[in-house]
Amino acid sequence: MKKVSFILVACLALVMLTGLVVQAQDDAQITFISTQFNVVEEAEKARAIVSGYEGGMIEFVVSEEGPLLDLLRAEAQTGEGTVDVFGALHGTFPTLVNEDLLFDLTDLLASIEETTDVSDAFVALGKMGTQDYQYYIPWMQATYTMAAHNDALQYLPEGVDVNAMTWAELADWAKAMYDATGEAKLGFPVAGLFHRFLQGYAFPSFTGGMVSKFKSAEAAEMMRFLRDDLWPYVNPESIKYDFMNAPLLSGEVLVAFDHVARLKPAFDERPDDFIAFPAPAGPAGRGFMPVVAGFGIPYTSADPEGAEAAIRFMLSPETQGAILSQLGFYPIVSGVDTSDLPKGVAIQAAAVEAQSNSPDALPALLPVGLGSRGGEINEIFRNAFNRIVVEGQDIETVLNEEGATLQTLLTETGAPCWAPDAPSEGPCQVE
Amino acid sequence: MLFFAYPMVESLQLALRREGQFLNLRVEPVEDAAVAGTVAMQTELSVLERQRLEETLPNGRTRPIYWFEVETVDAAGETIRGWVSQSNVFIESRTESTSARVVSGEASQEWTLDFIRRMFNDFRFSSALGTTILLIVLIIPLQFVLAIIMALVLQSQIRGSNLFLYIYAIPLGISDLASGIVWYSIFTQRGFINSFLVSAGLRDTPFIFIQADNHGWMITAIVLAEVWRATSIVMVIVVSGLQAIPRDYIEAGEVFGANLWQRLWHIILPLLKPSLQVALILRTILAFQVFAVVIAITGGNIVTVLANETYRWYDPARFNSPNVAAVYAGFIMLLSLGISLFYLRAVRSQEEAAKAL
Repeated sequence: MKKVSFILVACLALVMLTGLVVQAQDDAQITFISTQFNVVEEAEKARAIVSGYEGGMIEFVVSEEGPLLDLLRAEAQTGEGTVDVFGALHGTFPTLVNEDLLFDLTDLLASIEETTDVSDAFVALGKMGTQDYQYYIPWMQATYTMAAHNDALQYLPEGVDVNAMTWAELADWAKAMYDATGEAKLGFPVAGLFHRFLQGYAFPSFTGGMVSKFKSAEAAEMMRFLRDDLWPYVNPESIKYDFMNAPLLSGEVLVAFDHVARLKPAFDERPDDFIAFPAPAGPAGRGFMPVVAGFGIPYTSADPEGAEAAIRFMLSPETQGAILSQLGFYPIVSGVDTSDLPKGVAIQAAAVEAQSNSPDALPALLPVGLGSRGGEINEIFRNAFNRIVVEGQDIETVLNEEGATLQTLLTETGAPCWAPDAPSEGPCQVE
Repeated sequence: MLFFAYPMVESLQLALRREGQFLNLRVEPVEDAAVAGTVAMQTELSVLERQRLEETLPNGRTRPIYWFEVETVDAAGETIRGWVSQSNVFIESRTESTSARVVSGEASQEWTLDFIRRMFNDFRFSSALGTTILLIVLIIPLQFVLAIIMALVLQSQIRGSNLFLYIYAIPLGISDLASGIVWYSIFTQRGFINSFLVSAGLRDTPFIFIQADNHGWMITAIVLAEVWRATSIVMVIVVSGLQAIPRDYIEAGEVFGANLWQRLWHIILPLLKPSLQVALILRTILAFQVFAVVIAITGGNIVTVLANETYRWYDPARFNSPNVAAVYAGFIMLLSLGISLFYLRAVRSQEEAAKAL
């Protein structure tokens, strides 16, 4: 009996090994590594989408950002690559650009644009501040919006329109829910992508800028608003939330702010229970932050032609439509058929559109030009918030101290201002 | 020897060494040509001329490599001129721009205390250190009292003590992250405790344990999770120590009329000292590294510990600074070393103490 099972195991091992060898020899296979969709269910859906590619086989592999950067660096050093093409957020690219690891995709983009119209704003971002070097080709976009359970609407103060509300009205709404239920029912992903709320929503809406007005009187007023008017009615467990879909579904919060992809499971599961609406506006406008992911091809790609064909496939309106309906990331090309979306996706798509098309819209770009130190600016914003709102430190002192750290970062990296701050000659200045 | 020492030395020197702070201008557009001058990071250069070289890659494509002849004024106020490669400068257009900015340097290395200063000046450092020590002070004594009691119960061969051992040792097989998540789900707003409180009518609304204004509950949850998870490892060591104590000693004590407490205090504990020492050193070192439980329960933003700060500085999405992370790692190592030496001296067996006299 023992012998039989040993032989079985040996056979199994042999089959697996030969399988690996055969797979490795298959030339038509393109390895596509992505930092996006690295949740198991999302990865499965993404695999199903790329399996529709007819020019060969795309192997979709997910990775965290850090390991991907390390892998690409290591491959650049040995000169031999396994990654043919990769997809990552805008913020992943500066390190690769600094180390000069990526092909110029200008020609590929031009040939794609002969048949498909790719959003110009994102194409410009893909040049990473240069004029004529296309480091990435945009892949898809997302943003952050609000979501609310229908039960929350009964507490909405009279005369307030969720699609055109202000931050002050949101605070009133949160207070009304608190007074009626005895619980704080507004939620923010403080353990998640909260720095984007500060950079792309709070600061622009109140000050009109992201970094240049960091320690202005308007910024101090904004922090006072967050601390005194909003935070008392925000669910204290927010400090532990990283994805808002779970607290929305469980009823811990009724109204929440988060990345559309991180709200999506709530809309997928119970589309009839939730509404999506644009982020509120402040005195300076309706700040919001579009997020973009793009494709890059490393110099070490074993099959650049295959990689280019794969990008072409990923940018076709059909693929972009499939990504929208199944994965909730929005197209960056025109001509995508949106007539037949699942209900939850359609609700979110309407909110995203209302947000970017609102008359007072104030788009804020992801930080540009900080190179490999792009994460530090997030920590500066989070530190300022934590120190003032959570720990109760003095507003002016904290804004001045963190503002000085911010200025050092901008000066040392030489980053010029980015939207919504006015363009600058030389490093951006915190006024 | 090399196997253990090399990775440690390589990573720890990150804490003290900074790379690429200067860029050498070359007299001709070749990687290892003579140096024409040195410029600092972020220096603006005016581009006088450019040269395009090509490298053929293994995949058949070519990779353009530009060299720029640039001119600038160096620190001493003198005009210097030389060649730089594209990989060290930011330039808007490789083919047209007339100015460039230095963004990276060659592998020039210097020793620096900057990273150490950054760690000590970081406003979260003191709270991370404080919380780590607080956790050690709360967890270790609790664990040792519990573990010794458990070990004695097991040793006494009471009926059912084997079943007890199995239940008690199960958390040992659960990873620290998983045990953090288990205890988070107990304490969360819709968790077990709150469901119980609300359904038993003791509260109308759930009590929020995990919140910024209430560090006490978060610390409590962490302490419970750690005690739940890691007490049995101490017990295993203590049991093996107990088994090494000859029954004769204890029986001799009984003959002379020592009660249970006296036997424990005067015979068992002194003979257990070597095992306790090992267990103390192991547990304390591990407690300095506590990480996943804290992340799972608190999110790591409000209540933070040293290992969490190490990761925060290393994380490419946050500070992306392996250097400061290495300082933290080295700091944790020094603390562990210090505490181990302390234990070695403080918990000596009587023979050793006698020998030292």
